[in-house]
Amino acid sequence: MNVSAQAVTIVMIEDDDGHARLIEKNLKRAGVYNDVLHLNSGTAAVNHLFGPQRQGGAPVLVLLDLNLPDMSGIDILARLKADAELRLAPVIVLTTTDDDREIRRCYELGCSVYITKPVNYETFAQAVRQLGLFLAVIQVPPTAP
Amino acid sequence: MTWTQAAFGRITLGLTALGLVILLALGVGLVWLVQETRSYASAVVATQQIRVTAGEVLSSLQDAETGQRGFLLTDDPSYLAPYIAARAQLPQELDRLAAQVTADGGQLPPQIELRGTIEAKLAELQQSLELAEAGDREAALAVVRGGRGQILMDQVRNQIAGVEQRTAIRQQQRSANLEGAGQLLMYGAILGLLLIALVSFGTLRAARSYTRDLEAAQAALQRANSSLEQRVATRTGSLMAANEEIQRFAYIVSHDLRAPLVNVMGFTQELETAIVAVRGLMERAEAEAPALVTQDVREAVREDIPEAIGFIRSSTNRMDRLIGAILALSREGRRRLVAEPVPLQPLLEGLSNSLQHQLDAAGAELRLQPPFPTLQTDRLALEQILGNLLDNAVKYLDPARPGRIMVRARRESGLHALDVVDNGRGIAERDHARVFELFRRSGPQDKPGEGIGLAHVRALARRMGGDIRLASRLGEGSVFTLLLPDALPAPDTDMANAPQLEDQPA
Repeated sequence: MNVSAQAVTIVMIEDDDGHARLIEKNLKRAGVYNDVLHLNSGTAAVNHLFGPQRQGGAPVLVLLDLNLPDMSGIDILARLKADAELRLAPVIVLTTTDDDREIRRCYELGCSVYITKPVNYETFAQAVRQLGLFLAVIQVPPTAP
Repeated sequence: MTWTQAAFGRITLGLTALGLVILLALGVGLVWLVQETRSYASAVVATQQIRVTAGEVLSSLQDAETGQRGFLLTDDPSYLAPYIAARAQLPQELDRLAAQVTADGGQLPPQIELRGTIEAKLAELQQSLELAEAGDREAALAVVRGGRGQILMDQVRNQIAGVEQRTAIRQQQRSANLEGAGQLLMYGAILGLLLIALVSFGTLRAARSYTRDLEAAQAALQRANSSLEQRVATRTGSLMAANEEIQRFAYIVSHDLRAPLVNVMGFTQELETAIVAVRGLMERAEAEAPALVTQDVREAVREDIPEAIGFIRSSTNRMDRLIGAILALSREGRRRLVAEPVPLQPLLEGLSNSLQHQLDAAGAELRLQPPFPTLQTDRLALEQILGNLLDNAVKYLDPARPGRIMVRARRESGLHALDVVDNGRGIAERDHARVFELFRRSGPQDKPGEGIGLAHVRALARRMGGDIRLASRLGEGSVFTLLLPDALPAPDTDMANAPQLEDQPA
């Protein structure tokens, strides 16, 4: 396990608690033991990432669902990429939408990876585990200014 | 006032005819007046002639009297020359005068009277001359002195004056007549012109009114047309909006249905994993403390839970497929169709080749019956439609007989008709409409499938401006007829706009 990756906090923005739980479990199964912070609404995510209590310095990786009840995940992505500190943080879009235009828009805004949640659970679990393996090896820069 | 074209025609024709009649009457009147004037002019000449002739008659008679007087005075016969000449001329002159007067419309009796008086005068002259010639000068002079000649001469003068006077009166009469006629014609002309003016005015008014009506009708027609166009545009717009709404709805619903499904499937999986642990525990308990494991627990762990999980799984898998199908259909509906020339022959050959394996496996034969046209249409859509139809034809062959599938093209009421004919198991009459509905299938459910293919085919065919039709008999075979226009219908409605999912609750 990569030493610097250990310190990375995975911020999971996902409104569906079931999905969040399944993602967490499968990441663990893939051997990802990083802290996973689950935020189940866009507002909570914005408060955490851009609010007054945010802690700078710690490397962050964002797992982002686009279909949030209170705002569009794309707006959060845009804000992240416009943020001086957080713009270097990898953003992995993990969502049910597989619309071409949506995908293109996310990459244009600077998301690192766009993954469509497979409907079939086997594939879903497998995808999350593979993501976990991927997360285990990638380098994440600290978000310090 | 509203004019029908026929009424307008009748009225204008009538008015024009009236105008022409008036003009004609004026013309006739004018010709008549000219004629009258001409005859008046000749009558003036005739009057002059009568005067001249009357003057000549009087002059001749005076000549005769002068000759007589001269002879009686001088007894010189040379003085008789005027008398002799006058006597010779007078009958002719009187004849001429009579002819002229009667020709001028005068009465004959005064002429006879005049002639009589002149003859009496001449007789008196004759008598005195004869007495003088006989040498009885005194008797001759007595005749003259007797004053009868003087009286006769005065009578002749009076009678000639009468002739002249009557002629003058006739002339006056004629002049008055002419003047009257001229006046009449003038009044007639004025009246006629007024009438013509009136008629022209009427015609003009009718024409203007008719033109106005025509213009109004035209304007109304134009308004009706434009409002019709507007209505059509509005309807088309709302239809397109409704269609788009349905597409969006299907897309969003199917997307949002997937999310809970992932949970159902995921936690079923978790449950399955968990049951393994439980089963391990139960087996250990069975081995170490069998009394703890009751029949209920054993059945629950070994049969009930796995069975329940199995049903949940198969159901969620099926639901997953259905949602996938709806999603695929709605995505297909949003795809923009692009027209390009598509020659059917190579397209069908390609499909035939890709089906060869299945055809061989079924022992079936696919025959393409040329000629095939080239369509101006969306290649992918056409390929999907024909692929689906051929796929079905192979899939639902009757194992009791060798499969025969045939494709041919023909024209039908201005459209291209593509028949896919098979001798497969056929479709019962009551299912002919159903097979084109989503998730509906017909016949024994012994083949895999979700009942999506034909629904998709029909949706595509309609978007391409065509349709699909089925003729089939159960147990004998089916003919699917794809009807397509020469070219894609003009601008495909913009279905390519993806629904704005970020605005939707997840």
